[in-house]
Amino acid sequence: MQYRSWLWPVLPTSPPPLASLVEEVSVDVEQRFGGSTVARDPPLHENDGVRIAPSVIAWCLALAALAMIAGGVLLDLIAAEQHVPDSGSAWLYPFLVTAVSAPAAVGALIVSRRARNPIGWILVVGALSLAAVLAATPYALVALEAHPGSLPGGSWAALVSSLWPVFFAWPLAVAFVFPDGRLPSPRWHPYALFAACAMTLLFAVLLVSDELESPFADVPNPVSLRLPDAVGFLRPLAWLSVFGSLIVGAAAIRVRYRRSKGIERLQMLWLAYAALLIPLGVVWFLVLALAVGDAGSDNAALAFLLAMEAAVAIAVGVAVTRYRLYDIDRLINRTLVYGVLTASLGLLYALVSLLAGVAAGRGSTWVTAVAVLVVAAAFRPLRSRAQAAVDWRFDRVRYEGLRRMRTFVDDVREGRREPEDVGAVLADALRDPGAELLFRLPESDAYADRLGTVVARPSDSERAVTSVEHRGQEIGLLRHKRALLDRPDLLRSVLAAASLAVEIARLRVEVRLQLAEVEESRARVVRAGYEERRRLERDLHDGAQQRLVTLGIVLRRLQRSLPREAQILGPALGSAVDEVGEAIEDLRTIAAGVRPPRLDEGLAAALADLARAAPVPVDLEATDDRLPEEVEAAAYFVVCEAVTNAVKHGSPSQVRVEATVTNGSLRLLVVDDGSGGAKVAGGTGLMGLTDRVEAQGGTLLIESPVGAGTRIEVEIPCGS
Amino acid sequence: MRIVIAEDTVLLREGLAGLLEDAGHEVVARVGDAGALMAVVAEHEPDLAVVDVRMPPDYEDEGMRAAADIRRDHPDTGVLVLSQHVETRYALELVGTGGFGYLLKHRVLDVDDFLDAARRVNEGGSALDPEVVATLLSPQPRDDTLGELTPREREVLALMAEGRTNAAIAKRLWLTERTVETHVRSILGKLGLPVSGDDHRRVLAVLTYLRASTV
Repeated sequence: MQYRSWLWPVLPTSPPPLASLVEEVSVDVEQRFGGSTVARDPPLHENDGVRIAPSVIAWCLALAALAMIAGGVLLDLIAAEQHVPDSGSAWLYPFLVTAVSAPAAVGALIVSRRARNPIGWILVVGALSLAAVLAATPYALVALEAHPGSLPGGSWAALVSSLWPVFFAWPLAVAFVFPDGRLPSPRWHPYALFAACAMTLLFAVLLVSDELESPFADVPNPVSLRLPDAVGFLRPLAWLSVFGSLIVGAAAIRVRYRRSKGIERLQMLWLAYAALLIPLGVVWFLVLALAVGDAGSDNAALAFLLAMEAAVAIAVGVAVTRYRLYDIDRLINRTLVYGVLTASLGLLYALVSLLAGVAAGRGSTWVTAVAVLVVAAAFRPLRSRAQAAVDWRFDRVRYEGLRRMRTFVDDVREGRREPEDVGAVLADALRDPGAELLFRLPESDAYADRLGTVVARPSDSERAVTSVEHRGQEIGLLRHKRALLDRPDLLRSVLAAASLAVEIARLRVEVRLQLAEVEESRARVVRAGYEERRRLERDLHDGAQQRLVTLGIVLRRLQRSLPREAQILGPALGSAVDEVGEAIEDLRTIAAGVRPPRLDEGLAAALADLARAAPVPVDLEATDDRLPEEVEAAAYFVVCEAVTNAVKHGSPSQVRVEATVTNGSLRLLVVDDGSGGAKVAGGTGLMGLTDRVEAQGGTLLIESPVGAGTRIEVEIPCGS
Repeated sequence: MRIVIAEDTVLLREGLAGLLEDAGHEVVARVGDAGALMAVVAEHEPDLAVVDVRMPPDYEDEGMRAAADIRRDHPDTGVLVLSQHVETRYALELVGTGGFGYLLKHRVLDVDDFLDAARRVNEGGSALDPEVVATLLSPQPRDDTLGELTPREREVLALMAEGRTNAAIAKRLWLTERTVETHVRSILGKLGLPVSGDDHRRVLAVLTYLRASTV
């Protein structure tokens, strides 16, 4: 749906292609808090030596406009020397220069940064024509009245000067195509055409009418067509149409604002903020008219028009280049705060002056001093009150959100709440129950939720993703509803208030994850140890032991097949076989110590062997349930160690061993009636026992009062 | 006896074969894995198969499973399983059916005992390694009937469980066969088992009893 807008005259660029427009309005979330980052358009054309860059043309036109207005000021000063009426209002000069330089500079800037957006050209051309009209008045004054004949074309200048409604031209054009350089929709095409026709008609009527505009009413129009009185209605019709167009332009802005979101809403807000000057200007106009009288009111109206022109140009510049775009909410907020503050301070000053005047008598210097003192003292509290009142009145959501977040951060500082709750508080403060906070793990470049579950970086799909930053580093991501993108100030201020809590929570999540990793790696090491034992045990049984048995058999056969005359060797061979048997026994003991083969049959079988082999009676009660291999191994070695320890240090008469499964965990109990006093200190068997249990995520409890035996209680989760 | 041997370690296999041949038996086949064992048993219908527990391909309990198959498919072939270490899981089930023996490998060095066990198994009797018997006779919290036995009776019971005959027990404990018989009658009485003249039947009854009280 491309359509050429009628508004820009002849532009060196063709209408923007669709793709670039999409790029123009697309919201780059990453850049949202970048503030001043402005993406530059790529150069439009390869430098082929003939073409001049559009930005150069734009800057030249802007400079021409400035030169023109400067010349105008100079001519006005010359006219003022000769006391020509309608000249020499020096206070108007800054207004004149600003009203031209603001759109000129902004327009040139937009052309050089956003060459495809025609608003830049509208502003530059607007500034140029405005400068021409404004400079034409003093030119005509000098040429016709101050030094008649000194300059050529005085009446032509007076004619140009009569075209003053050019003031409305560029703001009207901007109103239709702000901020992306296109009409709000193709439906607006006829309205735009109507506005163009109205403007053209007005200029045409002004150009060819018999009488030029003030102050050149008595200068003959060089191109007057001397139209018959019958077409006299054209002039009011043209004016009516232009005013109608202005209303339609305002309607276009309203339509845009109502369907705008995100960046566009902010852009519209900037324009609206500048437009606030219009009612202010009306007030200013009335005040001046009352104070200066009729004579000054023309100039006052001009000053107002000029100021509005400049303000709108600056607002358009901010909106289109997006430089400090996000400050609009704050700007409006501050304006309101300081407006309220100024009003209340003035009121206070007046009140105090009145009261003190009554008390101390009129004209006393004390009155002023007291009033100033009171106002100074009231400034700070009043300002914070005004801020809270403005926030509360105009932005309840932000006010409440910030209050909640600050209360939460205080609570965290006082230890009343956990930092990990920050996600829930954010969801609450932003009024988005589905908001989800993820903490960034810088080492793995991954993200984790508050429980430490690692998740992939969420994509910007049906929910928007905004990064949370602390000291310029990304510390997390917030997934939130897309509607929040339209409230970047809310999002930014609440996230800024939350950032410390987010950072604390993130660090805690990170530490917890690392701890879990360490625990996992310890469990892995222990598991590897068990596997190594199993392999070793197999090697001993299937390798060394088999060879010894084979050797024994060979010797035995040798012994049994000795010829009669060699029988004397029989006993020696017999004892050799016995020796081999002993070696096998030793080997089996070692292998069983490495890992009892009966662990394959379950914990109960292995513990039964252990109990049988123990040097003191062991009363065993063990579950027949099969448990995960490493749990069984851990349990076996724990009991083995505990029993060995008991026998070695406590000399008990009896040891009781229990192994039961309850509620998904294996509970081991080793109780002896020995001398007690066992300690878990470095190097003792009990220390290694603690390590084994904890590697399985279990707990170990030792009670060993001196003289009253030892009781070791272990719990290992076994998931059954 | 006509015997087949299944053992994956070649030297040990040859040693075993030598021992058995020295004793006058005929080793009709020597194989290295369970599949080959089943084939040669089917082919030769031997009196006895001597089988290693761990064999290729997995070195787990292939021998034990082959033993069960042989006992089921060829009831006339006795099976003597040799193991590197005690593993009672399947052994106790099989030993209760007779014609089955379970010994630790190094018992072979006690040649006469080994040959005696082979003979008993071939005759439909049983042989159980003393270490396995020890696990059966260890104090059981659930049943203290065994605690009522005198130490001598426990010794006799252990030897019975190993599968030995009265005569063998008498010889080993330096008692007369008569005394042993008295002990046996007393033990069976205390355990509530029927008195039987047949050694094998008696052993099976004892084993069944012990197994039931263990598991």
